[in-house]
Amino acid sequence: MNSNLDLVAIEVLWNRLLSVANEQQVALMRTAFSTIVRESQDLACAVFDTRGNMIAQSLTGTPGHINPMATGVRHFLVAYPPETLLPGDVLITNDPWLTAGQMNDFTVLSPVFRDGTIVGYFANCCHAADVGGRILSAEAREVFEEGLRIPLTKLFEAGEPNRELFKIIRANVRTPDETIGDLYAQTSCNAVGARSLLQMMAEFNLTTIDPLADEILARSERAMREAIRALPNGHYHHEVWSDGFEEPLKLCVAVTIADEDLYIDFAGSSPQSQRGINVVMNYTHGYASFAIKAAITPEVPHNEGSFRPVHVSAPKGCILNCIEPAAVGSRHLVGHFLPGLIFAALAPAMPGRLIAGGADPIWMSIFRGMWKQPAQPFMLTVFQVGGTGARATKDGLNTTGFPSGVAGIPAEVIETLSPMVQHKRALRPDSGGPGMFRGGLGQTTELSYPTGAFSVSGMLDRTLFAAQGLEGGKPGALAGYSALGKSLRPKMVLQFNPQERITFSPPGGGGYGDPFTRDPAHVFDDVVNGYVSLDAARMEYGVVIRYLGVSGQLIRLPVHYQLDSAQTVALRALSREAVSHGRPTIQL
Amino acid sequence: MSEPSFQVGIDIGGTFTDLILVNVATGEFTVGKILTSTGDPSEAVEEVLRDAVSRADVSPSEISTIVHGTTLVTNAVIERKGARTALLTTQGFRDSIEIGRENRYELYDLMLDQPRPLVPRHLRFDVPQRTLADGSTLQEVDKEYVARLAREFVDAGISAVAICFLHSFTNPDAERATRRIIHDFAPTVRVSISSDVVAELREFERASTTVVNVYVQARVEAYVRELQTRLARVGFAGHFFMMLSSGGIATPDTAVRFPVRLLESGPAAGALAAAAYGRAVGMTSLLSFDMGGTTAKLCVIDDGRPLIAHDFEVDRIYRFKKGSGLPVKVPVIEMIEIGTGGGSIARVDAMGLLKVGPESSGSLPGPVCYKRGGTQPTVTDADLVLGYLAPGYFLGGRMSLDLDAAREAIQSHIADKMRVSVIQAAWGIHQIANENMANAARVHALERGKDPSRLPLFAFGGAGPVHAFRIAKALGSPRMLAPYGAGVMSTVGFLSAPIAFDFVRSWRAQLQSMDWHHVNSLLGQLESEGMAVLVQSGVDSAAIVHDRQADMRFVGQGHEIRVPLPSGSLSAETRTVMEAEFQRVYRQLYERPGPPVAIEVINWRVTSRGPDPILSLQMPAMTGTNDGSALSALKGTRAAYFPETGDYGITAVYDRYLLFPGATFIGPAIVEERESTVIVGPGATCTIDGRHNLIVQIH
Repeated sequence: MNSNLDLVAIEVLWNRLLSVANEQQVALMRTAFSTIVRESQDLACAVFDTRGNMIAQSLTGTPGHINPMATGVRHFLVAYPPETLLPGDVLITNDPWLTAGQMNDFTVLSPVFRDGTIVGYFANCCHAADVGGRILSAEAREVFEEGLRIPLTKLFEAGEPNRELFKIIRANVRTPDETIGDLYAQTSCNAVGARSLLQMMAEFNLTTIDPLADEILARSERAMREAIRALPNGHYHHEVWSDGFEEPLKLCVAVTIADEDLYIDFAGSSPQSQRGINVVMNYTHGYASFAIKAAITPEVPHNEGSFRPVHVSAPKGCILNCIEPAAVGSRHLVGHFLPGLIFAALAPAMPGRLIAGGADPIWMSIFRGMWKQPAQPFMLTVFQVGGTGARATKDGLNTTGFPSGVAGIPAEVIETLSPMVQHKRALRPDSGGPGMFRGGLGQTTELSYPTGAFSVSGMLDRTLFAAQGLEGGKPGALAGYSALGKSLRPKMVLQFNPQERITFSPPGGGGYGDPFTRDPAHVFDDVVNGYVSLDAARMEYGVVIRYLGVSGQLIRLPVHYQLDSAQTVALRALSREAVSHGRPTIQL
Repeated sequence: MSEPSFQVGIDIGGTFTDLILVNVATGEFTVGKILTSTGDPSEAVEEVLRDAVSRADVSPSEISTIVHGTTLVTNAVIERKGARTALLTTQGFRDSIEIGRENRYELYDLMLDQPRPLVPRHLRFDVPQRTLADGSTLQEVDKEYVARLAREFVDAGISAVAICFLHSFTNPDAERATRRIIHDFAPTVRVSISSDVVAELREFERASTTVVNVYVQARVEAYVRELQTRLARVGFAGHFFMMLSSGGIATPDTAVRFPVRLLESGPAAGALAAAAYGRAVGMTSLLSFDMGGTTAKLCVIDDGRPLIAHDFEVDRIYRFKKGSGLPVKVPVIEMIEIGTGGGSIARVDAMGLLKVGPESSGSLPGPVCYKRGGTQPTVTDADLVLGYLAPGYFLGGRMSLDLDAAREAIQSHIADKMRVSVIQAAWGIHQIANENMANAARVHALERGKDPSRLPLFAFGGAGPVHAFRIAKALGSPRMLAPYGAGVMSTVGFLSAPIAFDFVRSWRAQLQSMDWHHVNSLLGQLESEGMAVLVQSGVDSAAIVHDRQADMRFVGQGHEIRVPLPSGSLSAETRTVMEAEFQRVYRQLYERPGPPVAIEVINWRVTSRGPDPILSLQMPAMTGTNDGSALSALKGTRAAYFPETGDYGITAVYDRYLLFPGATFIGPAIVEERESTVIVGPGATCTIDGRHNLIVQIH
């Protein structure tokens, strides 16, 4: 070890940096304007050393923003070397290829000065309510249709706002107060982080944090390498399908574990699309490294060092490494598949430690129309999620986002900020994939605009390909997206008449293990609570349960049901025999 | 009959029931402590009260006031021991309480669980009805459906019902109508409606709070009535109050209506005591720090009062992490709880670094040195090895500690793995535990908009004063204060609470176009509601104070900051004062000015309270003579480790009970009392103030 920091000092300072990044995130959420940041936490915050290495990130947020933000910082430092920066300078970009892969994601960087010298940087990345161009969807054919692209530039110079830039942004976006307000919030939160970093340096008498950064990165890298070494060497493959836009997309991965390095290659995946579902390499890298960390080292903090041993590649021009001027607005609909894809590939190498397939992409829908007197436009962004995959020892989680960490929006907030009315937000019975452990349930929601016409851009997936089970678990239910009983085309801006109800039904997660080995008592609970229907209990789980109550009874307690253990044993045995004789189904 | 002149504070904790009986005229006090009775907790209250009055030779009829707090409500939730409760929601939304926020409170852990709602899905019902955001009715309540449901409640054993309809905080009619029908058809069933319990936006949090309220209500009522009966039987005829989680106190009738407001009333008292001690010594802003066996709790005291939050989580299932508990939106003394205590386990992680907690050995098996089967080294073991605790004077000598076993555990589990000495490992455990708490305190203070380096640290709880000196240093605190008698801290808090109740009204308007007439009438209305509740509770109307605050933000933001309102009638002239105050607080918090956007007020708040009780405790007469120095309190020396000297050094050990006001000494020093030990680092100046508090100058 070449630094003079002792082990306890490293731990103390490291924790302090994590705490500083959390303070940064708290400030961002509390000062943010758009619901996407403040309610849904679609953001990332982190502290960087003078060389642009990410050394600590805040606790929650969006995995897809973290690494792309870190890459963005490197681009900033090339364009604006330290000698060109002044105290109070703040840099900004939303270039998809330089940072987070879509133009709604702004990365904001602030240098931290101490005695006239830069000692580190704070950056954050979050999703702006609007950046102009088309309403966010997958319809664009080129990135130029998707809004205002801001190159690496100064947002504030020596503390003074770049007024010309603010004017241009204000004139180009549908939500000027929110978009501008969030840029102020992004600036504030970096300043709050800087205040705490400087306090830390004063308290511990540090003139630089670079040696500390070296220690943190080296230790994280070593821990990641050791965790990789504990896995069996080998090549692991998997592929999944996504709805795509014009046609389904194939996503392929080959994971190679070679001693203490791990290679993830996406060769074989579909070529880049004509429409806005293309993923830039940064974003692919972000979700691939998130997956590895969650799979093998959830306890090691995420930083530059912890992703050094993870090598991610994808052929140029494929859907996961698109080239300009590809449209990229809905890249999360493809990128969010990557952790599940990688888990499925690695499952044989890590028995019992990974989860079955889940809903994967977060659903994001944008509602647009006119309201109020005199008439003014409204724009509302709603996030929704389905169920997660089951685990080796537990059911999947109902309506919980994975891999995204983004939160939903209460109906009362939707209805306060827009004229949309939400009619339903309910769990979807039988949507969890059957298994010894059941997949998490998806949900069904319905919205309408009772008194006006409106448009919807429903950025969603899994209407064609269900979340797969693991170790004999069954797939979760497909997603649904419809109006008046008719399926709607996802990823496009569609027009609707007043009162038309749009139904969004995010999918369920896959099951884990053979459903015929699920504890009948758990199936019984699921039936009592309506997670699983009586029919599905019998058909999918081989568990015979009867409802003994009165048919019109509203309150149905566990005592009103009966689990027939003898028939369950018989049915399960019969079914196993049928399967072993190659008969796919049996008559019940 | 002479004028009653005694006050009593009683705290029912998980393990002990504590009491303090104070003679208001003289400040003399009597302390009681017995094991909490598990079946009927009021039994222990009666017993400890009978014992205390007899020891103090006081007639119960001379007691003017009893203030009582309890963990009963929290425990009923954690142990799921409430009533069988049904939840009625707007049609289509019965799952809101389970769907929750749809995100993960921890990004990387694939094995995490979501908190389980108190009402299972089969007891949640969609009621056909709909109110819109503007309060208008799209669909009336289906009375027939509610009546059918109500008729089935009794047979189904449902004795409690929570009702949470969309937008009821704007128009409560549908909830009230539904409640009436249930009363008609099932008169024995308890009903809580969300517009009564917490009239605020966000259906998930509002439903969760309403459910908790009615879920525990029967238990709380039975308990309070039983307690009142017992107190009457003992001969008590004065005022009886319950402590609220907000730090105010309320009559039993109010408490029974809103039992959710009693959550955390025990810890609230600790924070109130810190505030009261602080006021007494002129430190009106401080950070209260209570560290026990499994957790530490920190609370910011601002201007003589604990900060109040309006959201809270009960029953957190994942390392006290935000998001892993059931949300409860009630006024609550804002405390952060951290999984670091004396029993927190130390280990070496995958990166070769030392980690402390949140796994805890609890009280059983406990730290290795307790010799009750614990094998993993803990914070207490490290404190012992460092010489901070005396093997023979733990709990005043009632328990002996095994130093060799502690040293051996730290050697094999930590020192050997890190290739450092035992002492370095022990110091590492101590320091990392301190940093965990200091980091949590720092983020917590920032979230509240406070700068921790301006706040003296007020330490209590068994382990608090052992760690406080270093935490104060890490936070950059100016001073650290350890009160005399940490064991009675929270019961003192009960008696320092004014009778108080909080009122809030959501009414959103921009400063520039404010209808000031409406504002003044709204505030006036809240004040008269407060006046009515307090006068009912026996407070002299002339002594009632109303604190007025507004939650303000830039138009379009989602989080407000609380800004005190100017006194008197508000108008276009006071608008500039409000605006300037908002900008000042905003800038102080977030370092930068906000964007050029209009400012709005979301909520108007009034806290009505009676006078702060003036409580002056008379310390027991001390033996020995006060020669003005600390020397006579020196009970010996022992070897203790301080990093400034790099090794164990001979360290003075003082007897807390022999340190007279005015005594001054310089650290390193160890000050022992029965329930706790104060550790002071080298070079720090310590003084004993007129109230026997130990004050250590840090900066």
